[in-house]
Amino acid sequence: MSYAYLFKYIIIGDTGVGKSCLLLQFTDKRFQPVHDLTIGVEFGARMITIDGKQIKLQIWDTAGQEAFRSITRSYYRGAAGALLVYDITRRETFNHLTTWLEDARQHSNSNMVIMLIGNKSDLESRREVKKEEGEAFAREHGLVFMETSAKTAANVEEAFINTAREIYEKIQEGVFDINNEANGIKIGPQHSPTNPSLPGTGGQGGSQGGGCC
Amino acid sequence: MFRSRSWFGAAWGRPKNPHSLEHLKYLYNVLSRNQTVSEHNRGLLVETLRSIAEILIWGDQNDSSVFDFFLEKNMLSFFLRIMRQRSGGSSYVCVQLLQTLNILFENIRNETSLYYLLSNNHVNSIIVHKFDFSDEEVMAYYISFLKTLSLKLNPHTIHFFYNEHTNDFPLYTEAIKFFNHPESMVRIAVRTLTLNVYKVEDASMLAFIRDRTAAPYFSNIVWFIGKHIHELDACVRNDADHQSQNRLSDLVAEHLDHLHYLNDILLLKITDLNQVLTDHLLHKLLIPLYIYSLSSIRRQSEVTMETATQNLARVLNKSLSSFEQQESANGKVSSVVSLFLLSQVFLIISHSPLIRYLAWIILRTERSTFDQGLDKLSEHYEIFKRKFELTECEQSSQLEIESNASSSGSKENLLEEPKNVTDEEKEKLASTPTESTNISEKPFLETVYNSLDCTDNDYAALFALCLLYALANNKGVLPDLLELVLKPRMSPSKSVGRDIKYSYNTHLVEKLLHIVILSCQPSCRVRLVTLELALKLLLQLVTCDGQNVMSDLHKTSIEAARTQSTALLRNFYKSEEIFLDMFEHEYCDMSKGPLNVEWLCMDSAILLPPTGTPMTGIDFTKRLPCGEVERARRAIRVFFLVRDAVLTLNGEIETQLPLTNPQSCVQIDTALDLSIARYNSDLIACTVVWKDGQKIRRFLVIDIMQLILVEPDTKKLGWGVAKLVGFLQDIEVSGDKDDSRCLHITIHRPLSSGSTSRIPLLSAKFVFDDNIRCMAAKQRLTKGAFTHTGKTGAGSGSGAGCNVIKFGLAHTVRSGVMPSRLFVSPDQNSINRWPGREAACRFQG
Repeated sequence: MSYAYLFKYIIIGDTGVGKSCLLLQFTDKRFQPVHDLTIGVEFGARMITIDGKQIKLQIWDTAGQEAFRSITRSYYRGAAGALLVYDITRRETFNHLTTWLEDARQHSNSNMVIMLIGNKSDLESRREVKKEEGEAFAREHGLVFMETSAKTAANVEEAFINTAREIYEKIQEGVFDINNEANGIKIGPQHSPTNPSLPGTGGQGGSQGGGCC
Repeated sequence: MFRSRSWFGAAWGRPKNPHSLEHLKYLYNVLSRNQTVSEHNRGLLVETLRSIAEILIWGDQNDSSVFDFFLEKNMLSFFLRIMRQRSGGSSYVCVQLLQTLNILFENIRNETSLYYLLSNNHVNSIIVHKFDFSDEEVMAYYISFLKTLSLKLNPHTIHFFYNEHTNDFPLYTEAIKFFNHPESMVRIAVRTLTLNVYKVEDASMLAFIRDRTAAPYFSNIVWFIGKHIHELDACVRNDADHQSQNRLSDLVAEHLDHLHYLNDILLLKITDLNQVLTDHLLHKLLIPLYIYSLSSIRRQSEVTMETATQNLARVLNKSLSSFEQQESANGKVSSVVSLFLLSQVFLIISHSPLIRYLAWIILRTERSTFDQGLDKLSEHYEIFKRKFELTECEQSSQLEIESNASSSGSKENLLEEPKNVTDEEKEKLASTPTESTNISEKPFLETVYNSLDCTDNDYAALFALCLLYALANNKGVLPDLLELVLKPRMSPSKSVGRDIKYSYNTHLVEKLLHIVILSCQPSCRVRLVTLELALKLLLQLVTCDGQNVMSDLHKTSIEAARTQSTALLRNFYKSEEIFLDMFEHEYCDMSKGPLNVEWLCMDSAILLPPTGTPMTGIDFTKRLPCGEVERARRAIRVFFLVRDAVLTLNGEIETQLPLTNPQSCVQIDTALDLSIARYNSDLIACTVVWKDGQKIRRFLVIDIMQLILVEPDTKKLGWGVAKLVGFLQDIEVSGDKDDSRCLHITIHRPLSSGSTSRIPLLSAKFVFDDNIRCMAAKQRLTKGAFTHTGKTGAGSGSGAGCNVIKFGLAHTVRSGVMPSRLFVSPDQNSINRWPGREAACRFQG
């Protein structure tokens, strides 16, 4: 299915904060969140619409590659957006945010949009990090903030889409050099208006939550 | 739901519970009845494949019978059958298939389940399947699948992927086909996978990698890096006007990515692999391209290099059409680019066999050797290594080495060395002459040294400094190589008890001193970063065991530079109104951290000729100053840098900077004894009225440096608690037209605080008891700063308190503190002769 832009995202944060679950929850809504199932994935793509434009999001999880400096470096550089995730029930994952952010700022292109995500908001009783703390951290470092739950799907949609919206706005402002694919943004293949989309490929995917488009 | 013990007896209808064995049976039936993909069942198949992933993971976490069923029915074979069909819209189905596999391999926790999944070789068949890789989506899911698998590799699982008997390792060989894919995320995935493979400790697999894949894979990488560097060089050559900064920054970042990747491989310390990689890197990239570009004159040896390029082409079995033309026209890159790239190499890669050889070539190779070509080069290096080992052994056991020397006579002959090495001869061998006399005989070192000349500009000098610094600080370089070149030599005198003699590279030190002296001249063209790096390197060159071993002559030189930098600075505090603010701000900015050379070499902006315009967005220290204010800032920084270097060389610590010692300032919530003279004399009662009408009764204290708003302390009589503090130089004050008892006071945040926010600390109306008190306060705040001039200040907090002077400037009160000793020689240390004061008086008038 053709798109106007493709945005590449990465998801970063300590292990066990629910990065891959967030990714799957967003890219494939057909996986209904249930309590006796923890399921995630390292890569996913989905089409969204912003401002009447079709935008494809490609999300790459970077888990398990921290040992290699070259890999982290390149991942950051190739992304237009990053979701920095911590677990609201584990204080240490919040404490490590500064390190993650330093890494991100050092390696990424300066326009990369970073969204701070406090995940597992469904586990209110085990909460160790107050929402206000997340907000304060985000304000201090100029990030967008949101609490989500991959389990209940609360705010997951918004987190990814708000990030995309911010990237989109930056493109409109001319901040991003969109002709430079190294920034994690790609302009869609030239689609002529007379070309009816190939039967099935787009329409069905959309109706099923876009898990496969 | 329990109907039959037979798998086939399962319900045909869809079970209500999606997470149950029954549901998997149902899905199995759907697959069995839809083995041919058609337009009509595609949607159904996709949902079935998706559901299978979901239920299998549920089963893995909750019910083992689910997995048993999946394996028993060999359901992976359905997957294969589906993807092998060409029928319409298969990419849609394939994407779901790959995603299902991704989910499976990523989420399975049960080791046994994983082994079973891998055991029937279906996974390898999926890996080698020729998907439609032109489909961006298929490509992304496919490579993610391979990467996910690579994360599961360990000494046990490796055998499912690498087949020792057939000598086959599809996971690896299929993946590396995409190593140069145009999509960056795909390339990264391939690199991740290769690293995950290399780190599995399995001898036969690694032997396969080395024997069957290492040469082509590494030579491909090396070839592409070379191609890349020519692009980078072209970009630098054609962009004197800073038009394609983005492109250049990508190319530089890409080169860094390559180096980090190579370093990550080398760091895994797989001896065999590292040998192949090192060999390729040295002989096909680093020496012919990076190093040879350092020598500016075309030599006989270039023929060798061209041959090397042709050999390379043959090895790669590629037509080098455009690349070759470029190569033959000019096989080298500019020496600036080559210095920059070599700096990166030495900053990133630490593998010592590679680094040592490279360092040896730069520091030791002589023209005659260089002219003989690559082969001779390595021969000479072998000799050097042997000599080094010889001296090493000699230190441990003299006898042993002698017996060795005689037994390995044939080898010695080969190296054209005398059989019986006498002590004296050994000494000669060990002390290879490195003095300036024969610098011209070392083509590469000569280029580096020549680049240090900043007479016209410091473009190349910065890179030469980076390279020397990187060489001196790379752990892989032999200390022996650096001695007398980049670090001092300690030679104990023959007789015990005498002083130890130190010697250092005087030629280089003089070059560096020249840069420093040049930097202190007005309107010179040396950037701050160059000066900082030159000083940093200088300190290393002359410091031995924490001791400064500089000769008196050189000490005099650097002292002269310091005097010169002070003189340069003095020009500006006469003319710059906000000089003191700038002075403090620059100091604060500079104390944030010393220069990080690795970060410096990540910045592509320095690859373009030095510019003066801030419009390029280039950091202030990495360009020339623009306009008077920036020239003043530059002079301030030069002063700080040289001062700091001299202090360090003399083993002293900074006691006078920053001028405002935060420790001696009153902080908010500090309790003050208002009865002591310091505060009492200036105590004025007032009411502070905020814009929103809020009123608070306070006492105003005007200290030497600060305005303090005090609230009487409820616990201690005669004490007050500071509620708000601001520096006098940050205050604007104006009277009120209508009320002579009122003052409008704005307290700005200190410039040096580093905060970007320019919201004032306080902006409010102060109402005093009568107009006389109001006048007094105004006087104190405006001219008040002036009356303090020359007053000895407790403000500096140091013993050198008499250095504190204040002065007010112009219509707004801008005052600051200036230790005169920093600027004025002792005999001039008189306020009246201080030019800044005259300027201030004029403004006041």
